[in-house]
Amino acid sequence: MADATAVQTTGTPTQQRRRSKGLSERRLAFFMVAPSMALIALVAAYPIGYGIWLSLHEYSVRVAGLSRWAGLRNYSTALSDSEWWAAFFHTMIFTVCSVSLEFAIGLGMALVMHAAFRGQGIIRTVVLVPWAMLTVVTAVMWRTMFESPLGFVNNLLGTNTVWLGDEPYALIVVILADVWKTAPFMALLLLAGLQVIPSEIYEAAKVDGATAWQRFARITMPLLLPAILVALIFRTLDALRIFDLPFVLTNGKAGTSTLSTIAQETFASNRIYGLGSAMAVLTFIIVMIVSFIYIRTVGGNIRGLAEE
Amino acid sequence: MRGRFGLGAAVAVALCSFVVAACGSDSGGGGGGGGGGSSSGSSGSSGGTNQTAGVKKIDPNSMKGAKGTVTYCTGKDTSGATHAWIKAYNAKKTGVTVKILEFPASADAQRQQFIQRQQAKSGECDIFSSDVIWTAEFASQKWLYDMTPYIQSRKQDFIGAPLQTVTFENKQFGVPETTDAGFLYYNDQKIKSTPATWQQVYQQAASNGGIVYQGAAYEGLTCDYLELLFAAGGQVLNPDGTKSAINSPQAVKALQLMVDGVKNGTAPKAVTTYMEPESLAAWETGKYAFMRNWPYAYALSENDKGSKVSGKFKVVPQPAFEGGGKAGILGGHNSVISIYSKNPGAALAVVDYNTSLENNVRNASKFSLAPVLAAAYDDPAVKKALPFSAELKQAVAQAKARPVSPVYPQISQAIYNNVNDALAGRQSPSDAMKKASDAINKALATF
Repeated sequence: MADATAVQTTGTPTQQRRRSKGLSERRLAFFMVAPSMALIALVAAYPIGYGIWLSLHEYSVRVAGLSRWAGLRNYSTALSDSEWWAAFFHTMIFTVCSVSLEFAIGLGMALVMHAAFRGQGIIRTVVLVPWAMLTVVTAVMWRTMFESPLGFVNNLLGTNTVWLGDEPYALIVVILADVWKTAPFMALLLLAGLQVIPSEIYEAAKVDGATAWQRFARITMPLLLPAILVALIFRTLDALRIFDLPFVLTNGKAGTSTLSTIAQETFASNRIYGLGSAMAVLTFIIVMIVSFIYIRTVGGNIRGLAEE
Repeated sequence: MRGRFGLGAAVAVALCSFVVAACGSDSGGGGGGGGGGSSSGSSGSSGGTNQTAGVKKIDPNSMKGAKGTVTYCTGKDTSGATHAWIKAYNAKKTGVTVKILEFPASADAQRQQFIQRQQAKSGECDIFSSDVIWTAEFASQKWLYDMTPYIQSRKQDFIGAPLQTVTFENKQFGVPETTDAGFLYYNDQKIKSTPATWQQVYQQAASNGGIVYQGAAYEGLTCDYLELLFAAGGQVLNPDGTKSAINSPQAVKALQLMVDGVKNGTAPKAVTTYMEPESLAAWETGKYAFMRNWPYAYALSENDKGSKVSGKFKVVPQPAFEGGGKAGILGGHNSVISIYSKNPGAALAVVDYNTSLENNVRNASKFSLAPVLAAAYDDPAVKKALPFSAELKQAVAQAKARPVSPVYPQISQAIYNNVNDALAGRQSPSDAMKKASDAINKALATF
């Protein structure tokens, strides 16, 4: 009570209360956010920082513990390495093809799952099975299917193709395996988006005489756009870091090396820690650039639509 | 709007962090690929610098009357062979007790575990079961006792080839435990006379169903190719290990033989994707006349359900190369004693038992591990368990070590990537050897 009186004497009550409340709230917010920020620093910022630190050094593969400052030399080595560029292009082809196929198939699956019918629950569960499988298991399964000449795909098609050893085919198999595995994930994200679109809008459109196509193009797609953006970002970032499928299917050979397989080979197999880290940081930068482009372009569209 | 952007950015950062973080940890991986074992040894590298000058020598007499407890570090003992000999040794109550410390099954992880301990100057591992491929590298780091005096006292007991793998700068830094070497399998319904050369193997294969081997781009292909290269008289590195010597007429000739085989259908085109299991599966269909594989494939070819070659095949050591000689590639493990061991005398007593005839016979007869002692191959129990013991002894004796280098993984990649590209028809054999040579020189220049 005494404090309150004192406050009243030093300024206008509303101003004073707002300021003191604002300050304490900010401080409170800081303390409440601090633990999670510390956790993020520990699990995200520290490894990133350490990775960058490693990438600026050279660590001897001959003498244990010997290292020297390298500046940006590891980066120029990576960027002038034709194998790194090959891996870059394989990764880009993989990302564009797999994500667009997954989007198309995932959207179809989401629309089917969204429709009300008997056995809906079973369909939703069954569709998710590939997503629930371990990627390594998926890869081994696809490897068996595409083995040559004894694999079942060659038997089915009556061909004698060396799917996993020849240049365009191996990457196609990796893309197909990824689509098979992650289209359900795409479908799940899009289904969540579909379910928050109010059914009244569709009813109103029907009353106004909109055709099914018009309802899809003018209602579903625009309102689904935020979910699509999230799904595409997740999948694209995942695809840019693809490692396990090519590693198991082809060991990153026969035109399936990716940014991650080449970084892993350099870092873990060859123990060239500096160069391997530089390759990982380059992947990180590429992923950052792509995600910013996404948010800038598609994100802008969403805002535009919202303003409409 | 800013909120959405900020959230997106935060999500992006969080996701991206895994990119960097994921590469911060060693994922281990397949390690030595070559089913029968990865391998190497020493080509001497006596020229130039003497990296092991002043390393402590072990005193062979120190094991007499030694007391105490020593730790034997090894990869995961999946077969139970290590537990078997340790139990037998401890039951003898010599005054020395052995404890086992198991590392992960992955070869890379084992190597890393031992390196970490040596860098910390830890005496935790008195003895380490080192893959033959690492022994020279550890010796060059001065992490191992020089065991030359001990080896000299038993030298005549060992087959010569495995001893190469413990030799670095003309000193011996370990004692061979087990060994391994590739075989040529042939279907004796199709092939009536054992071919004497690789050229004959391919000729006979061409009209009798073909040959399968490990042609995928991995360590196994390096082994398969080096067997031909060494037989043809080629080398990977120059004598002091400072430069590539792989771009030679012999190397191109060896590769040409393999490439022609794929081109004319003697080897199926799919061989460029085969590792040990795939080549074994193809062989077991009974369609092929020959298979190159490790000894482990013997029992499987005989006993696998659905194997159409059961009782219809023979194994022989690898043939000679026309104009060259016989060769092979050596695998296996060596016992090495850490320079930081607090009880090297007791450690030596344990190594002495681990590499004894008694234990060689047990390893071979119970666990199918190839002996390093010549006498073990004549033991009745071994002959019964390994019907091919005479051929195995010969295969081991003619085998050679893979190149010794701290950058061996890169050297092997340079070989298997380019050989695989040549087999798949993506480049000519001479281009492949030129590129492999450039890549090896680049690898040797690694800091």
